[in-house]
Amino acid sequence: MPVEEMRLLVPADNSKDNKGFCKMEILNMTASKKDKGISKKKVATAAGAVALAGAVASKVHAQGSGKIKVGLLGCGGRGNAALRQCLQADPGVEVIALADLFESRVKRSRDRLLRDNKFKGRVKIDDDHLFWGFDCHEKLARCEADLLCMATAPAFRGRQMMAAVKAGKNIFTEKPVATDVAGCREVMEASKIAEQKGLAIVCGTQRRHEFSRIELMKRIHDGAIGELVGGQCYWYGPGIWYRGYQEGLSELEWQCLNWYHFNWISGDQICEQHIHNIDIMNWCFNGPPKNFMAVGGRAWRSYNDGQVRQAKEVCRKYNNGSDADWEKYNGDIWDHIFAEFEYPNGARCLSFSGHSPGTGRGGEKIVGTKGTSNCSSSISGENPWKYEGEHVRGMEQEHIDLIKSIRSGNPLNEGQRIAESTLTAIGARIAAYTGRSFSWNWLLNSCKQDIVPKQKYLRPGRGVFHPTATGRDKLV
Amino acid sequence: MVQKQKLTRRELLKSSAVTAGALVMGGAAVPLAEARGSETIRVGVVGCGGRGSGAAHDCVKSSPGVRIVALADAFEDRLRGLKNEFKVRDRRCFVGLDAYKKLMALDDVNLVILGTPPGFRPVQLAEAIRRGKNVFMEKPVAVCPAGIKMVIEASNKATEKGLAIVAGTQRRHEPKYVETMKRIHDGAIGEIVSAQCYWNQGGLWVKKRRPNQGDVEWQIRNWLYFAWLSGDHIVEQHVHNIDVINWAFNALPDQVHGLGGRQDRTGPEYGDIFDHFGIEFFYPGDVRTISTCRQIAGTTNRIGERVVGTKGVSDCCGSIKGENPWRYEGPNPNPYVVEHADLIKSIRSGNPLNEGQRIAESTLCAIMGRESAYSRQQFKRSWFINRCTLNLLPPDGLKLSDSKPVDPFAVPGKYQLPGLVQGKRRRG
Repeated sequence: MPVEEMRLLVPADNSKDNKGFCKMEILNMTASKKDKGISKKKVATAAGAVALAGAVASKVHAQGSGKIKVGLLGCGGRGNAALRQCLQADPGVEVIALADLFESRVKRSRDRLLRDNKFKGRVKIDDDHLFWGFDCHEKLARCEADLLCMATAPAFRGRQMMAAVKAGKNIFTEKPVATDVAGCREVMEASKIAEQKGLAIVCGTQRRHEFSRIELMKRIHDGAIGELVGGQCYWYGPGIWYRGYQEGLSELEWQCLNWYHFNWISGDQICEQHIHNIDIMNWCFNGPPKNFMAVGGRAWRSYNDGQVRQAKEVCRKYNNGSDADWEKYNGDIWDHIFAEFEYPNGARCLSFSGHSPGTGRGGEKIVGTKGTSNCSSSISGENPWKYEGEHVRGMEQEHIDLIKSIRSGNPLNEGQRIAESTLTAIGARIAAYTGRSFSWNWLLNSCKQDIVPKQKYLRPGRGVFHPTATGRDKLV
Repeated sequence: MVQKQKLTRRELLKSSAVTAGALVMGGAAVPLAEARGSETIRVGVVGCGGRGSGAAHDCVKSSPGVRIVALADAFEDRLRGLKNEFKVRDRRCFVGLDAYKKLMALDDVNLVILGTPPGFRPVQLAEAIRRGKNVFMEKPVAVCPAGIKMVIEASNKATEKGLAIVAGTQRRHEPKYVETMKRIHDGAIGEIVSAQCYWNQGGLWVKKRRPNQGDVEWQIRNWLYFAWLSGDHIVEQHVHNIDVINWAFNALPDQVHGLGGRQDRTGPEYGDIFDHFGIEFFYPGDVRTISTCRQIAGTTNRIGERVVGTKGVSDCCGSIKGENPWRYEGPNPNPYVVEHADLIKSIRSGNPLNEGQRIAESTLCAIMGRESAYSRQQFKRSWFINRCTLNLLPPDGLKLSDSKPVDPFAVPGKYQLPGLVQGKRRRG
């Protein structure tokens, strides 16, 4: 891909709360404007989509009334957007419950939904179906929803998914699904339970639901570019919001509000954002890498003047006016990781991620013995090809596919796959933080990393801070 | 690196077969260039530290009729070892930052070994060529684009004058590399579509500042850690591996985009350099390669190269796998000695080797990687060599007692790459 083209993928300014996720920008690159109002008609004609036929599984709670009751967990920008995409996906979807760490967010989300004419009559959220607090996911799992949309910070996804599948809920979950190895294992476990119970899990790696990429990947897997011998993926953008002090929040709550900056809550940028591209690499190779190697660090975040000023203020507020310890409030995530994935066939691929002012790069490239592909819509080489079919927006299509799969009685289950992609990103991060190389087998089976506090320790109070990784951290 | 090379050299010292190939040219005294009229190669060593001493030994060992006849170093204590060993007379030993000029003024010296910190290389090479000396110079050969241009100019002059230049990228003189490259260039692995190279290792020696030590003296004694002297470790060490990838492609990268930082080595004794880099080079045809280097204690080592083609894979040093499998099974003479043997042979045969342009180009690629990582900007090679105004050459008349505050290390987003207008697209 020429530089000019790569530069088109400059992620947008993320300063606004509700636009915290750059993926919207990337998505805009692959879907044309006319695809905006996705309709059921499109769904019915969609190639590769599950047939709507009469097959309605009896065990699916949803099928009786034709209604699918949805609860939203995580009422921030991404959660509200995902909920709307879910409502748009099928007229039988109703929203009945909202949950978030913060009461104000839950109520604000309900107000906004009620004001939205598009969903008139489909917003049925009683007062006793508004949940907040660190245990809101447990309360939500106990309500009568059929489907839970999960969009909180990723640290808690494992326990949230586990509670949901145990309560018999279908799941839409945002990526990533964990911030540590223990969390990934929990999601794999939840995914198995979902399988046994016939529950659906779909994940917000929306590229997997874009028709263009689906058609492309079929060809790559059929050998259109020969054996895969190399590849690159990138998510390199200008930076991310920082949320300063807010009256009335305990330190831990503030930390969760400012989640992106703490590795144990966000998983660092490679996990939180770059997972999209890493997931595409894994898709190309039909599975995760076998070996990890990475370098990286935190080079400019500590010198970001505006952020430093805010961090000092936060520090003073929580420390009787002293800003001596301000650096921990500035976050511990890095700003660049350069990783190499070695896939089982020996191919070594680059993962290039980070933030830095005035930069931008995104996308993927896969290299085979007979050609290359941009991993989105075209192949060049011995078997040139260009996708010319219908374009859909993955972030809408993923909900359409999910609900169809629930209705048809053939629930999609992406749980294991997204846990593997999340673990791939985490593996690269661990390799960079420790400076050590290791195998997938070690990571999956022997790594003891477990950095998210147990549920019982999560309550309004002191924050949980870890030192910034040194690049030679101990491998656990 | 320095340590590693020493070790290898020492091992190889024991091997008597080492110079077998090199000895062939022994008696053949071919009158040529500045060696003309004398069968003896009379060597002046500029920079008598670890690398310079190593090179001096290798040079003497490589061929008959080689004598170390003059020495120069910034410091008397660094010069003493070679002086005693090779019994070099006082009046032919020069100390100070201008010692190289005095050494190169000696008419009888017909080969100089340049083993000073890389920041001095362009100036010293230019002087050597001006004075009509053949040159063996350590890698890298510059730390900035301005230095690269000087080296290329000096190299062109050497060609005009019939002088030899060999650089210490010893892999170019290692039979297992040479034989593998021949096959890669003949198509044994098909078209190259991917490549990787690495120099990931632990820490290296560091010299803390002593009381009363001036800025310049301390920085030169602790030269690894200052970009104006070493070029940073990507240039100082990893240039070896980058050079191999350039060799495999028979081309230079068009563009670069890199990351890097200073994560572990943050103390003042580590000057202004980074401790890790991850660089993506774009070779012609949009073939993208991985380059990583790291110097952090306790991390996993990986040093080497790998090239992937449409028909196979090679480690560049003796193994090809795929449609045309092959293993190198020939001799493995010490490449640190062979490079000198090849140099002296070329001088005596009247066909002087000149590696100046090539090593300047590989050094340039490493510098590009460094500057891309410092600035986090992607740019083209043509822009970098033609338009980037970065100049880290030591000022004329630099003294050991001069004040020279340590440059601040690069903070991406704040670091300004000279000549680069932030936000503007960089074209060649």
